[in-house]
Amino acid sequence: MAVAMWAEKYRPSNLSEIKNQTEIVSRLRKFVETKAMPHCLFAGPPGTGKTTAALCLAHDLFGERYMDVFMELNASDARGIDVVRTTVKEFARIATISEAPFKILVLDEADNMTADAQHALRRTMERYTETCRFILCCNYSGKIIEPIQSRCAVFRFTPLRQDDVKEYLRQIAKKENVKFTEDGIKAVIEVAEGDMRKAINTLQAAGSLKKAVNEDSVYLVVGRAKPKDVKEMLELAFNGDFLKAREKLRLMLVEYGLSGTDIVKQIHSEIFRMTIPEKNKIALADAIGDADYRLVEGADEEVQLSALLARLALLAERAKQ
Amino acid sequence: MHIPWTTKYRPKRLSEIAGNLDAVNALLNWVKSWDKKVPSKKALLLHGPAGTGKTISVEAIANEYGYDLIEINASDSRTGDAIRRIAGMAAGQATLFGKKRMILLDEIDGINLSQDTGAIDAIVETIEKTNYPIILTANNAWDPKIRALRDVCQLIEYKRLGVRDALPHLKRIAAKEGVEIDEKAIKLVIERDEGDMRSIINDLQALSSGRKKLAYDDVVWLAWRDRKENIFEALRMIFSAKNCLWAKKAVDIADIDYEMLFEWIYENAPRQLTDPLDRANAMDQLARADVYLRRVKREQAWDLLAYVFDLMTAGVALSRERTKPSFVPMKFPERISLMSKTRRIRGIQARVGAKIGKRCHVSSISAVKYYLPYLRIIFENNYEVAAGLSRYFDFDEEGIAYLAGDESSTRKIERIYARLTG
Repeated sequence: MAVAMWAEKYRPSNLSEIKNQTEIVSRLRKFVETKAMPHCLFAGPPGTGKTTAALCLAHDLFGERYMDVFMELNASDARGIDVVRTTVKEFARIATISEAPFKILVLDEADNMTADAQHALRRTMERYTETCRFILCCNYSGKIIEPIQSRCAVFRFTPLRQDDVKEYLRQIAKKENVKFTEDGIKAVIEVAEGDMRKAINTLQAAGSLKKAVNEDSVYLVVGRAKPKDVKEMLELAFNGDFLKAREKLRLMLVEYGLSGTDIVKQIHSEIFRMTIPEKNKIALADAIGDADYRLVEGADEEVQLSALLARLALLAERAKQ
Repeated sequence: MHIPWTTKYRPKRLSEIAGNLDAVNALLNWVKSWDKKVPSKKALLLHGPAGTGKTISVEAIANEYGYDLIEINASDSRTGDAIRRIAGMAAGQATLFGKKRMILLDEIDGINLSQDTGAIDAIVETIEKTNYPIILTANNAWDPKIRALRDVCQLIEYKRLGVRDALPHLKRIAAKEGVEIDEKAIKLVIERDEGDMRSIINDLQALSSGRKKLAYDDVVWLAWRDRKENIFEALRMIFSAKNCLWAKKAVDIADIDYEMLFEWIYENAPRQLTDPLDRANAMDQLARADVYLRRVKREQAWDLLAYVFDLMTAGVALSRERTKPSFVPMKFPERISLMSKTRRIRGIQARVGAKIGKRCHVSSISAVKYYLPYLRIIFENNYEVAAGLSRYFDFDEEGIAYLAGDESSTRKIERIYARLTG
């Protein structure tokens, strides 16, 4: 049996295989029945099935050879709107050989596009609306400009229910001959927080340790996968050692390749556990939100985040007095 | 024979003076006005940086229009009594042959108040009594110790010379000396000496001694020699400036491109401003400057650059409210050295990410986030699976080594991989 990433290998290939997001699936089925669909916006946290739903929809609409009329672009990789525009133009221009009435273009991580790029995208969407349907995927629909949202059918994906995750993991484990303890599977579900990709990757990594997946092996994997650095960095800033905190931040960004947005999210979840006056937490959350927004705009990750660390150090200093 | 070019080519006539045309004309008109009637302000204060032509324009007028120039400068003894003796005499009596007189008090901001007791009073007194034009020069007209003089003088400002003003004069000197100087080389020297004509001419003479030709490459090392000094100077200005204009000047002095200057300020601001409030404010200003900087770069919106400068210089400078002055050495921007050290590894990571992204329907950035940590664990612990996944993702040797972390694991994975592909 060839080795593969399980998250790919066990990705549903048609809508009926998707066992959750039932309301979304039933709406998508309508598109298949009528052989028509509007532009769509799939919004929701990572690992909740946005890309899978898009792939399955295309499969059910166009059959096994759907890849001829289906294209996936990633806003984070496709540098700039110009790339998107020319790619879309090329893709939409060429007539289909199949009898598909339109093509589907999935634009992943669309919330990483600047507002300006999104406006340009909107015009492109309008121009090719006859021949091409867009599915935009994003974590936060709020980061998608209003004119695009109003032209799309919006689908909100929610974190998977624990039972659904459990069922799926059991099936995979069985097919892959992975032994596990109840504690182990429970731990995977716990750390995944409804993110199916994370759940499967955790299972696969823990399963590679050559023993039954138990609580210990899961936490070993999670400990390695989620670096403690963010917490350590915050503690340094909190204790007034800004320069060391910035150094830590620099290492995370440059050497470990963590994204600024991820670090922002982690800082955000940590501050509410810190011992600073409650009121300051709100001000800090505001500052974090500001930094987050600027990063989306393309600002420098280290500069923005270190400004945040300096602010945190100041609040910590005041709290001590 | 070695004659300094500054002496050899010292202007004899007004038309030979480079730059500051308005100032020179104002000076001439004022001097000429004495022929009709004594002006309300009987003294002029020419002020501006060194080497901008204050003294020589007075000398040129005296020479061209036939004045006796009575000159007292910094090297003379300048106690109150000495000034009264010389200036008082000059102010009082007519010359023997009726020749017109002009009195030049050079570099008056160099007066040492503790030594030259009564000097300022003596000058003010002389101005009140004078029958002849009195001209004073100073680098800084706003020096508090010469405030009394400011009130009794008319002020004329001399500005630093730009390339356009200085270039023709320097070319003429070079031609007369038979030295062929590359225009770019001259420009560099002009900029480096900040329009101080005396320094520029001295530098050009020193650089071209024993040469017939002076190319850009012959002088460029000068800029490098000074560059670090310039950056430090610019940074010192920013971290000690009390007002916006002073801080903003640093951009001109730094002599490096603005992104590099930003890096220097960003590295050093939190080191210099150690008070938590000052530091947080300064970092905030830099973060805002960065937002503008990205817009400039992304949208080619060059007019926004002005705000980048404002925030990263003046914004940082005025953040200093509570930090006590102390000497902290400046540091080279660390992240620039870190970036170059890690360039190779980041390249590999990006290529690995792209390969994962292709198979797993994610961007290469997301691939790094969602898959890399798990792949690392697999590659460190299970060589069989690692080899299988290497085939699945089509990883090459550098990718495998990157994920496996150490050499022996890499070798083992590669051996299995080779067997798989047969």
